[in-house]
Amino acid sequence: MGLDAVASPTGLVIGFVLGLIPLLVGWRYRQWKWGVIGWLVCLFSSFGCGLIGGLPVAVLATSLVISYAFATREDPYTSQASLDEVTFDETWQEYLLRQMAALGHGVRTSARMLARNKVGFIGFAGVMFFVLMSAFGPLFIEYEGEANFSRRQPGASSLFQPPSAEFPLGLDWQGRSVLSHIVYGGRTLILTSIQAGLIATVIAVALGSLAALLGGFVDQAISFLGNFVLTIPQFPLLLVLASLISFNSSLGLALLFAALNWPALMRAVRAQALSLRKRDYVEAAVALDLGLGHVIMREVFPNMVSYIAVNFIFSVRSAMYALVGLVVLGIVPLSEPDWGVMIFMGRQQGALFNPAAASMLLSPIIAIAVFQLSLVLFARSLEEIFNPRLRSGV
Amino acid sequence: MTSKPLIELRNVYRSFEVDGQHLPVLQDINLEIQPNEILCLVGESGCGKTTTGRIIAGLLPQSSGEVLVNGQPLSAYSRQQQAELRRSLQIVHQDPFASLNPAHTIGQILSYPLKRHRMVKGRAELRRRIWELLTLVDLTPPGDIVTKYPHQLSGGQRQRVSIARALTVNPKLIVADEAVSMVDVSIRIGLLKMLHRLREQLGLAIIFITHDLALAKYFAWEGRIAVMYLGRIVEIGPTPEVIAHPAHPYTRALLAAVPEADPEVTRHKQHLALRSEEIPRLSEIPQGCSFHPRCPFFLPGICDAKTPELLQPPNFIQLARCTPLNDQGTLIPYEPAQYR
Repeated sequence: MGLDAVASPTGLVIGFVLGLIPLLVGWRYRQWKWGVIGWLVCLFSSFGCGLIGGLPVAVLATSLVISYAFATREDPYTSQASLDEVTFDETWQEYLLRQMAALGHGVRTSARMLARNKVGFIGFAGVMFFVLMSAFGPLFIEYEGEANFSRRQPGASSLFQPPSAEFPLGLDWQGRSVLSHIVYGGRTLILTSIQAGLIATVIAVALGSLAALLGGFVDQAISFLGNFVLTIPQFPLLLVLASLISFNSSLGLALLFAALNWPALMRAVRAQALSLRKRDYVEAAVALDLGLGHVIMREVFPNMVSYIAVNFIFSVRSAMYALVGLVVLGIVPLSEPDWGVMIFMGRQQGALFNPAAASMLLSPIIAIAVFQLSLVLFARSLEEIFNPRLRSGV
Repeated sequence: MTSKPLIELRNVYRSFEVDGQHLPVLQDINLEIQPNEILCLVGESGCGKTTTGRIIAGLLPQSSGEVLVNGQPLSAYSRQQQAELRRSLQIVHQDPFASLNPAHTIGQILSYPLKRHRMVKGRAELRRRIWELLTLVDLTPPGDIVTKYPHQLSGGQRQRVSIARALTVNPKLIVADEAVSMVDVSIRIGLLKMLHRLREQLGLAIIFITHDLALAKYFAWEGRIAVMYLGRIVEIGPTPEVIAHPAHPYTRALLAAVPEADPEVTRHKQHLALRSEEIPRLSEIPQGCSFHPRCPFFLPGICDAKTPELLQPPNFIQLARCTPLNDQGTLIPYEPAQYR
């Protein structure tokens, strides 16, 4: 992720240029509001993530502008006319506009579904809060890495301090602002968890659908492997492996989590694919000779997306727990800033017995718990968003 | 019946393995389907109607026997011809709620086969063709339907979409597997009339699978009926003949059981009692004629010993699979006391 590009002037220039797309399209179709909002969002996201963040945002913003502009325009294809009254010819510009309008409409529908489910929206807001805090927080808050002994209160036995106006979350055992550690300390944790979840999901979906579609020996072999990994007590094994192998990259850790995490999801995907492949519409696709690629990507996969998305969230969640657990136990190399390291060091430095240190110890715990809760709540709405039956009802 | 058959089944046998046991689901199936003809497969559930339909549509291989398409087995054709021939045999499923993918709009569902097999050139033609297909199956105005998802349509509308999807590849034969049985009775006639119209307009052959004899009679009046029992065709012939003069005891029992709307007719209708209401299991198909334990015209020593052939009995136009009838031309009701 291009999170290191934070606050680079290049990002600002990219965002300015990309933002012109929705702005100009908005000017062309008299949709000022969304044009300007699109421009601002492009600026902001390019500033934060460079081209990777800016380009998709620019496309989405433009599609939103177009979908609002074309909300009332009638397409002959979906008109009430009869066959003889309609011409279906259209230029490629019209085609592009129609596709963009459809994309924008999809974005709007998703947003509306998200807003409609209150619980899910709270989850979404929570996840976004932590992601945005990790991405853009550093713009506003300076990281305090060095010990600061000058902040010792007269007569205090340690540098710990409860929350105050100057330090909203108090000070840690070296007199550093806890808030700065919270803001900076989530990034590696969240990224590693997402990586682990992503890898586990990819492995699980690939192996699960292979097992279901090929069957026979392949199915038996994959299922056996999955069951075997499932029977291993995971956390103890993780402890042993993590202490044997020294991890200097987050990717290595993510791979290790994924290697232990995939079987549960694999079994779920396999079961789902087994049931889906017997459906009549799959048989119809076979009779129509639409090809194996079509059957997997168009017939089976779309009906598993919500399932996979929800399971992805849950595997991110469990990877996060495992990662924090390893750090708190001091198994993986400690590198600040990190929420887990905060808990570990707080315990080491006697925060458990110091009332002044309560916020230092509780802050990372609450951050982790709230993030986890948000993920679980968000997963609820994801299921709704990906389900066409629920989508079109809005 | 002189033209070359579109599809021909020769001695087709199919078994399924259940708990290590081979159950013969289809035995000795011989069928010829001419272009543009209607053939109705009727029988109780579990008699192999659907399996026959799936074998004809090329969705299930036969265990032994031959399936000839245009006079030759599929393996005699080149790979490309095979794909084309398979595509010319389409199936319409029973359950309109399971046969359309809930994730796609109707427009998308119809566009995939059209695009995949290059049936149309360019977007304008694709959109026009989708409209044509929807108009063809009486889903008007098409603009209302294209962007809808299957769950937004009624059962009858979905079944029409399902038929339109089969028509995308210009098939020569459609296997309608209980295609109207899940649809409300008030919608059925419309669907059947549409199928008739499509047959005339597009020169389709239709294999109509149903358990409802009244429906078969209505739909296949100009075609043929094949009555199936325990994996065998027991009687086959022109519909008016089979309905008016049923030959095989099983067909007679089925027809006697069809309820009539007129109470006067029902009261005077001759009831044909079977000797047993139980359908034998596929794992224990009776020796000889498989219908003999239930047959009211059972002839001991013959029916339970010799497996009957599908032949034309004297004084009948259709073919039947009944030894006493084929030998003597008449049937004598079975009276147990006589033989005790």
